[in-house]
Order: sequence, then C-alpha cells, then structure tokens
Amino acid sequence: MFKLFKEIRNAGNATTGYPFEPLEMPEGFRGKPEHNETLCIACGACAIACPPNAITMELSQDQEYMTWDISYGRCIFCGRCQEVCPLFAIKLTTDFELAVMSKDDLRESCAYEVAHCERCGKPYAVAKEVDYARRILAREGGLAAADIEKLDLCLDCRRADDAVAFQKQSCEGGRA
Amino acid sequence: MFDYEVPSQLQYKPDPIVLDAKVAEAKDKLLHSIKRSVYVYRVDCGGCNGCEIEIFSTITAVYDAERFGIKVVPSPRHADLLLYTGAMTRSMREPALRAYHAAPDPKIVMSYGACGCTGGIFHDNYCVWGGTDPLLPVDVYVPGCPPSPQATIYGFAVALGLLDQKLHASHHVAPAGEQAPLAFPAIPYKVRSAFEHEAHLMSGYYYGKQIVDEFMLALTKENTDVFAAADRLIADEKDTRKRAVFMDLKNLLASKVVDA
Repeated sequence: MFKLFKEIRNAGNATTGYPFEPLEMPEGFRGKPEHNETLCIACGACAIACPPNAITMELSQDQEYMTWDISYGRCIFCGRCQEVCPLFAIKLTTDFELAVMSKDDLRESCAYEVAHCERCGKPYAVAKEVDYARRILAREGGLAAADIEKLDLCLDCRRADDAVAFQKQSCEGGRA
Repeated sequence: MFDYEVPSQLQYKPDPIVLDAKVAEAKDKLLHSIKRSVYVYRVDCGGCNGCEIEIFSTITAVYDAERFGIKVVPSPRHADLLLYTGAMTRSMREPALRAYHAAPDPKIVMSYGACGCTGGIFHDNYCVWGGTDPLLPVDVYVPGCPPSPQATIYGFAVALGLLDQKLHASHHVAPAGEQAPLAFPAIPYKVRSAFEHEAHLMSGYYYGKQIVDEFMLALTKENTDVFAAADRLIADEKDTRKRAVFMDLKNLLASKVVDA
C-alpha cells in the first residue's frame, strides 16, 4: 500500500491548473487571428482565400466605405489568411480564449475608405490599396510604371482606353 | 454576399423556443452562481466528430474537467448543460429538439465548435440550417475547429461564471489618408514573388510563407552581402528540412543576381 502511495508521489501531477493559472500555449498553436488595421490595405486576398467565408468584405450602402469583417465563430483557424496576406496584417496568435455569451461578440470589423474612378465615379478599390500599388509601381519603375497615371481609373475605363489604343494602332497598321 | 434569394415557402422557419420568466430567472442563477456539479449531455447534430474527440480529451487526466464536477452523462434526463456540436442539419433537428425538451429546466445550452456557432465551413450547405442558435436559445458559444481542450475548459469556465469573456464586438473606421508601409522595400517585387512561389512549392502554404519571410528578413536585415547573410542563415538552421528550403532559395537568389 505504501509502495503505491510512494509511486503516486513520485509520478507527480499531470493535470494542468488551467482556469486558475495562465496557460502557456506552444509555439505554432493556431489560435485567434489578429488583424492589424494599420498594416491592412484591404486588398481582399484573405476574404477570397478564407475557406468558410469567415472573413468577408462588403461595400457600404453609400459606396464610401469597404468593411472588412471577421466572424470568429465561423473561423476554422487554418491560417490561409496569414499565408496570402502580402503585408503581415493578419497573424494567427496563440490566444484560445474565445468563448462568449453573445454571438455578436464574435465579430470584429474595420471600415476602409473607397477610391472612386476619376472618369466615371464608380467605386473600384480601397484608397489605401491604390496608394500602396502606386508606391510599389513607382519604386519598380521602368515598364511596370508606364501606366501609373491610370491607377486612378476603374477597370472598365482602363479597358476602354486599351481598346481605343489598340484600335488606333491597328488602323495605322492597316494604312501603312 | 452569400445570401441567395430563395422562395420563403421552400425554406424552413424554425419556431424559436421562448423561455417563460420563471425558468429564465432560474437559468440566470444557474449560469452565474452554480454551487454543484454540472452534468453534460453531448448532442452531435451533424459534425465531423473532431469536436467529440476534443471533448473526450477534455475529460482525460491532463485537462481533467471532472475536478470542477463536470461529467459527461449518457442521458439528457440527467443533464444540466447541453453541448451541441456540429452544424444543425435537417435530419438532426428532431433529435436535437427531443434532447432539449428531455433535459430538466433550468438548462444551459452550449454551442460547440465553428459548426455549432454559425454553421462553420458547412454554413452554405443545402441541408444545413446554420448553427444551434436558429433552433435553440444558446447561452455560450465556444468557437474553434475543433476547440482545443483548453478552449473547452475556458468555455465551461465562462458558462459557470469562473472567468469573464475576453472577446467583445468591435468596429473601427480606418483614418483617411493612412499609408501602409511597404513590405520588404529592398527586394524587387518580381524577386519576392519568385521566392514566395518557390517556398510554397517546397514546403506548402502555411510553413512556406513563414520560411520565405524568415529568409527575406535575414536578407534585408543588414545592408551588406546578401549571400553572406543567406549562408549565415543556412549555417544557423538546425532543422535539415528547413535548411534544404533555405539552400534552394539561395540558389534562386543566385540565378536572379545580374553580375556587373
């Protein structure tokens, strides 16, 4: 009998003291995705990659703001958002304490200002993303920056411009 | 974005269960100051069984939920807390409701896992009616896919009033004219995307990104010789698999360098 008690004492206690003392999670544990609103350019890569559509992006009714929204209740903690983010704006933390009493508390969102096309006035991208693209193209220079002033146009207007340019070119070629 | 227009007569409209005042009061008391053991009955409404495995992991010796008197029971007649896992599927609606009505009042309902909270990855499936909440009055939501045993214990602790919830709804508006700093300003964009593509090919989507970021950070940390930096990174790496990826990225770097 004493031998058994000795054995138990030597074996120690394997149970975690968790709710009464903090728990250190191992590195690489995929917990709550943390969104960094300053780094985020609202390009929507995470919303496209997200398998259960936990991250969504929606244009507001007045077409002035694009809202980035995450529902932790739907998130499956796969880390696809972290992988596709070009700017380290979303990262999985080791935070696992996500339980809530009300479903609304599972949502987090951030609204970003939308850029409008200079010609037709349609909203086409988030202003912050356009600014980021402009700085990248300016840095690259050369052929990549050839059309840099067309960043202020929406896709349809740019396409129309291209069509006009092509038509002009082909007409000239035909005459020669 | 994903709400399609479906004729209303084709859609089932569950009648929400309304608690009468007396039961609601008793339940409120139960939620915040329970003085006795909590018996849990587990209802799987159509999940993948990942959540069940984590529940059983929670009641093993390491996480030992039984030290708080939490016990998984085989009948809803004994239960104080009903644990609904999995998305609410059409065919499991009846059993889920029967389990709810079989449990004695007052009872706590807990939505467990991403599917139980909102429908999770199955949210737009034809036979899924979302999470537990369209059908039953849910008190605690435990997200996770599946929730780890630690998260499960935290969920129980929130339900029993031991700990407070940490997460709160938030909405921000980004200030106008805010600029995001360029990521890796010293590396040309095409070289960066070539690195990322190679790392994804070598070690998959999640770890590939981490490895390539580590590599690019090492290259740009000092403004000296990039090859020396890469060599140092390779020499310091103990994991041979990771080292292989670093060496591959270094070869790629060598192919991108134009000699003057």
